[in-house]
Amino acid sequence: MQLLTEMIRGWFGPDKMSDQWVIIWAAVTLATLMFIVMALCALIFTWLERKVAGIIQSRYGPMRTGRFHGWAQAVADMLKILGKEDIIPAEANRFYFSFAPILVLLGSLLAWAAIPWSPNFVAADLDLGLFYIFAVSSLVIIGILMAGWASNNKWALYGAARGAAQMVSYEIPLALACIPVVMYTGSLNPSDIVIAQQGGILNWFIFRNPFLFVGFFVYFIASIAETNRGPFDMPETESELVAGYHTEYTGMRFAFFFLSEYANLFLVSLIAAMVFLGGWWAPIPGLDFAPALTFIIKGVLMVLLNMWVRWTLPRVRVDQLMHLCWKVMIPLSLICVVGAGLWMMWRGQA
Amino acid sequence: MVRYFTDIWQAVSSAAVGMSITIKHIWKKPVTLQYPEERQVLPPRFRGFVHNDMNKCDACQICARNCPVDCIYIETEGKGKDRWLTRYAIDYNKCIWCSLCTEGCPTSSITMSHDYDHSVYFRESLVYEYVDPTVQKIPCHKDMRVELGFWVMPKP
Repeated sequence: MQLLTEMIRGWFGPDKMSDQWVIIWAAVTLATLMFIVMALCALIFTWLERKVAGIIQSRYGPMRTGRFHGWAQAVADMLKILGKEDIIPAEANRFYFSFAPILVLLGSLLAWAAIPWSPNFVAADLDLGLFYIFAVSSLVIIGILMAGWASNNKWALYGAARGAAQMVSYEIPLALACIPVVMYTGSLNPSDIVIAQQGGILNWFIFRNPFLFVGFFVYFIASIAETNRGPFDMPETESELVAGYHTEYTGMRFAFFFLSEYANLFLVSLIAAMVFLGGWWAPIPGLDFAPALTFIIKGVLMVLLNMWVRWTLPRVRVDQLMHLCWKVMIPLSLICVVGAGLWMMWRGQA
Repeated sequence: MVRYFTDIWQAVSSAAVGMSITIKHIWKKPVTLQYPEERQVLPPRFRGFVHNDMNKCDACQICARNCPVDCIYIETEGKGKDRWLTRYAIDYNKCIWCSLCTEGCPTSSITMSHDYDHSVYFRESLVYEYVDPTVQKIPCHKDMRVELGFWVMPKP
């Protein structure tokens, strides 16, 4: 952000533009860039998901659209979705029906602003970064509830209520698992968290503390539940069985839900890479020539792990899901917090 | 209380077992055949489209009588040594690929080939004519066929 403001100021001449306009232009450019990157990532991940699903199921994924392994399948899907008729149910609440997908997409996009891609590039260098990310992801829950209510469909409402309950519950272990990391760095700034992990693979937070190792898995499971994916896709599976919160949505509105699911997936994978797996640092200290690429590769590896889990494990029933969260994940994450603190005291790092 | 921990242990271990099974599929070759470049290997007695070798057929009409759906159309002219086969057609709209026509043939001219992918745009194109009456009239009697150099001795 700083760099971009300097660039814009230099481009237009030092006195031609007042400070507010420079900042506004820089912010708009960055937001557009983030949006384009997010949409592209979502497209690529839909293709990757289908390929990974195929490989795990002893088949190829898409192979024909676009000569090489069906890479254009994602593009074809997007074009198909854009061509669909836009239907709003007769008795639905028009404003909330239209606004819900925007809110869901907003929840994902806002959180992308605080992620440090490399030492020089972070769109919004917030001292409250980690807290901000978890707070802003909660906008997705409001969007889902809005979608379910405004659809005027009792099954949609049912699915939305389950989805909201699940996402709200799993935010607790998600955040608690990241607390020991904050205890180590003393700061919520994502750049500081990554900088604290320099010096090779043994300095990554996942390996510094056995309680953090367990905490990584707690974070991982909570992140799967948070994005409504994999074994925790109760709100969406209702759409296979009866209906779900996005049952009445067609065309571009549905595409927003779809995009935000994959954007959220990449977001939580990037956060896992940033908080536990060393961010932009390479595993061996000498290989730090492409920090942004390293970070993205770690994020993609986490996404692949996520997909591996999704295509292996069967769906969890909603009461089993709640039991898992409140009776297993939260006690475990609290034990991780306390245990990590005790370990730090024992090792003299507090 | 113990049950709480055994439940957790079972969940984690079964998930780990499942995931180790699925990861092995990365190194296995997929079972899909990329049709039309790769085709399935068909067994030798596979019943595909019917093929009639006009060099051997003598219009005895056993195949048409055996057919359960009457999809074989045979027309002949003349009697005795002057009998000529003018039309032999199989209507694949009706054919059920049962191979009963091949079982009675005395000259083994009618066989089931290994073709299966003959899709067309019009239903009329699925009536296959094996004799083109403007080009050939096939003699039916064995002596006539040997004279005209037309008939091939069937294999025993």
